[in-house]
Amino acid sequence: MKGLLLKDLYMVVKYCKAYLLIAVVFLAVSLMGSDNLFFIFYPCLLCGMIPVNLLAYDERSRWPQYCGTLPYTKGQIVSGKYLIGLIAQLVMLLVTGIAQGIRMHMNGSFEAGAYISLILLIFALSAVASSICMPFVFKFGVEKGRIAYYVTIGLVCAAAVILPAFLNAAPGMSAASVSIVPVFAVCMVIYALSWLLSVEFYNKRELG
Amino acid sequence: MNALEIKNLTKTFDGFKLDNLNLTLPSGCILGLIGENGAGKSTTIKLILDILHKDGGTVKVLGKDNGKDIRLIKEDVGVVMDEVGIPECLTANQVGKVMSYTFRNWNDAEYRRLLGKLNLPSDKPFKDFSRGMKMKLGIAVAMSHGSKLLLLDEATSGLDPLVRDEVLDMLMDFTRDETHSVLISSHIVSDLEKLCDYIAFLHKGKLLLLEEKDRLLSEYGLLHCTEEQLRDISPDAVYHTKKSPYGAEVMVRRSGVPHYMNVSPISIEELFVFMVKEAR
Repeated sequence: MKGLLLKDLYMVVKYCKAYLLIAVVFLAVSLMGSDNLFFIFYPCLLCGMIPVNLLAYDERSRWPQYCGTLPYTKGQIVSGKYLIGLIAQLVMLLVTGIAQGIRMHMNGSFEAGAYISLILLIFALSAVASSICMPFVFKFGVEKGRIAYYVTIGLVCAAAVILPAFLNAAPGMSAASVSIVPVFAVCMVIYALSWLLSVEFYNKRELG
Repeated sequence: MNALEIKNLTKTFDGFKLDNLNLTLPSGCILGLIGENGAGKSTTIKLILDILHKDGGTVKVLGKDNGKDIRLIKEDVGVVMDEVGIPECLTANQVGKVMSYTFRNWNDAEYRRLLGKLNLPSDKPFKDFSRGMKMKLGIAVAMSHGSKLLLLDEATSGLDPLVRDEVLDMLMDFTRDETHSVLISSHIVSDLEKLCDYIAFLHKGKLLLLEEKDRLLSEYGLLHCTEEQLRDISPDAVYHTKKSPYGAEVMVRRSGVPHYMNVSPISIEELFVFMVKEAR
């Protein structure tokens, strides 16, 4: 599977430079004082969607058909895409984590528990976002799966904007009071199920 | 050993059926799969590689069942598709690195040698290659991992005559090793006539014929005669007749034609056209 990851890495370097710029802008906005979760979380969400964009480029060059002639199982092909998404999300999470740590220190609001909860929440939400659309893309192809992609991005971004406001407005609740561990666990289960479902869908799909 | 054994292979789509295809390709030989567009050539190749799932039948590649050992089979099979399928942003150098992690028997020295031989730039993105260069890169990859069987789907169509000649020479070199075989599909029959040991005609998903090329050329011929002369020929020997006010052009089996009649050699292309017309 190393070959698949290397090929995707070359493509990420070539096609995803704009992501870096978007990430810098969003992180800068959040560093400058915006508490909105959306600005903190969006770069990670974007990185989770990198596999969908790579699959679109793949389909344009008819790579799926060619890849079908190479000694890879369909499980490896799907897993390669999940792994490249995971790697991109973790790299962005590291950058986001550093930026948010600096922001909290600058505000004088750094507290280890809240910081870890925030990082885990960012990772879990962005993982769930890609979990929702990847099986659609592997079942129907990028063209039809793109609908799921946009709906997912829209829903998750809306949730990231609305949820903290809702929690903070509800009597006796705050974003910080929501226990992150079960939320994180549920998100990881969704991610694993999505991975398995994508393999299942892709195994059944014909690449003619 | 046979490089390829296909028995009763069947696949149905809306409006098309590949119907009980039986094909055998002996090791060390080149088999040309000839058919008009939509005859089922690409479908056959995709079914061999399990890219499409067969509805029925068996496919053995290099002695292995493609339903069980497809991953092992793909290590030993080099494939070039009509659209090569290499990502547009990758350079030949990057393709080589990706493939070195893909194939267990990747031979980087051989890949470099082929890039040089085929005048392919190492650092130019694939999207900037001409169609001929793209095909040549596909062929270089297919021949750099110790392949024993090459499957080429319309790999010569759209190439200029010089590049086509170069590619055909490489394929002939490849089969000098008697463990190496090639299945090549094309609707450019002249290429296959030069290259192939065996010829198979596909028409609307059905195999019309599979035969040694030399035997085909010696067995069949083209006869120009009058309608009266036509009556002297055994009906079993007549495959297709094209009548005109000046007489008849008939595809015949030589053995059924009286000796006094002068039968001209027939080309594979003419043979194919006559057979397809007869099948209609």
